[in-house]
Amino acid sequence: MIKRRYLEPAKTERVRFLLLGRSWSPSGNWWPFALPTIALVGLFFVVPFVLNFPLAFTNWTSYSSTIKFNGLDNFQVLIRQNILFESIRITVSYAVIAMVVQNVVSLLLALALERTNLINSIFRSILFIPVLISSVAAGFIWYAMLSPHGPINQLIGIVVPGFDYAWFGDRTTALYTVAFTDAWKWSGIATLVYIAGLNSIPQEIIEAATIDGASAWQRLLRIRLPLLAPAFTFTIVTTLLGAISAYDIPASTTRGGPGTSTMVLNLAMQQQWTAGFFGTGSALSLVVTLIVVFTAIPLVTYLRRREVSF
Amino acid sequence: MAPRSSRPSIIVTVKYTALALFALLWVILPLWLLVVNSFKPLSEAGSLSISLPQTWQIIENYTTVIERGNFLRGLGNSLVIAAPTIITVLLLGAAAAWAYARSKSTLLKVTYYVATLTLLLPPALLPTIFLLKNLGIDGTRIGYLLVTIGTRLGGMVFLTTGFIRSLPIDFEEAASIDGASKIQIFIRIILPLVAPILFVNAILLMIGVWNEFFFASFLMPRNELMTLPLALYRFSQTGATFSAQNWHLIFAHVVLTSLPLLLIYVFGQRRIISSLAASGVKG
Repeated sequence: MIKRRYLEPAKTERVRFLLLGRSWSPSGNWWPFALPTIALVGLFFVVPFVLNFPLAFTNWTSYSSTIKFNGLDNFQVLIRQNILFESIRITVSYAVIAMVVQNVVSLLLALALERTNLINSIFRSILFIPVLISSVAAGFIWYAMLSPHGPINQLIGIVVPGFDYAWFGDRTTALYTVAFTDAWKWSGIATLVYIAGLNSIPQEIIEAATIDGASAWQRLLRIRLPLLAPAFTFTIVTTLLGAISAYDIPASTTRGGPGTSTMVLNLAMQQQWTAGFFGTGSALSLVVTLIVVFTAIPLVTYLRRREVSF
Repeated sequence: MAPRSSRPSIIVTVKYTALALFALLWVILPLWLLVVNSFKPLSEAGSLSISLPQTWQIIENYTTVIERGNFLRGLGNSLVIAAPTIITVLLLGAAAAWAYARSKSTLLKVTYYVATLTLLLPPALLPTIFLLKNLGIDGTRIGYLLVTIGTRLGGMVFLTTGFIRSLPIDFEEAASIDGASKIQIFIRIILPLVAPILFVNAILLMIGVWNEFFFASFLMPRNELMTLPLALYRFSQTGATFSAQNWHLIFAHVVLTSLPLLLIYVFGQRRIISSLAASGVKG
């Protein structure tokens, strides 16, 4: 659907070009306009991205001025210290939890706040506030909210007297709690994406289904959710990939603990960096990149295939 | 007829009660906890209760944060970073997006796809430091600024190119017939036409750049250069440490650090939400 809309201006442009002769030529020199962007993206994104591959296989440290290739040494060290696979497992779990929480919460909110009226606008505005708060601040806020004597446990204490569970301090829940905080901070964006998606579904289709006797529940499951596929693609991919490179919230709450139960890859990388092992740090950052790439490609292909056009 | 008219209203009541409860737990309670405890003395804030302070200690807490928490320095540094970054990304990104939307060049198209890929891929931190070291701008503000611009342009280009493609070409054509140069067309016609998507990008950039912590903490480790999130983080690590749970001071810092964006939001909230919901983040 989107593609078709984008094609139209191009077509009219070609027709006009034929009718008017050489009036406006989009084939002129466009490079001066794109060049600054190409240079900046190229130098400060693409070059480091490419450099990551060789640097992950070097002995780059703060202790020596020479940098030499050392084969798979960095990865072997990380495996021997039990960092590599542990951090991969933690990062992937973190990302999946954050993605699921975020999408469930924001989809439900979007369905509730889909229509634009005064009261819904007020709710949308309030629920967007966490997006504006820095993730470091969000980490502190939820660390306090979920501390053993914090407000959440006090609320639970009404039902279960003396409830003082350490949500961030217990190995079994720390990862969920940190990932939840991540989801809390970002759900506002995903909610707006789902609202935009719901509102872009043509009203006639839903009216036709209503006339044909489809119940509200059937309309939701059979029509609106399938037609929401582009929004699903966008939010699932962006929330998952964003959470794979998480750093701020674990850093401002658990700092990897208790034990290593929340040691996501970027935190492990930061530890290598602080210890002066830049090569092993680069190896971990390469792992982040590879996980993102190998998650993104199949996920985008799969989700795209499920998109219904109308 | 009676049940028909009363049933929807029951559903609506239940729905909004649930929504109100959710908003209360999700947003209001955390913010209340934050603000009310930033007004308390140490002895009271330690218990993290949501009741009003018995002793109000507003001025003392906030002056402590401003003096010892490097708030003003952080604010200045954040402004010096955010303003040029956002303006540069908007202007350069709009120019590139126009080129990408209108040009037929295959080579340009390749650079467009690379730019949009940077939206999904994580920027590589340590190799960036390696690059900045070799350029001699490691640990400087200009280094961080350039990296932020380079890593944010992709998103800007992606949203804006799609927007320009959906615009009719007639205005540009007419201006061209009247003898306007490309640069004149860009400034007089394209920039005003893309204003809505520039606004959306400006909001997303403001949220992203103002709160950026990860790269800032590695690329500008020196205390003189720290931005607000770094000032908050380091304040929580020193003297008033996290483990000592000086929540009154940490919360006062969180309030001050969050205030600039929240103030902008209070005044522009309706436009911000409606433009993000209308088209913006959908891409």
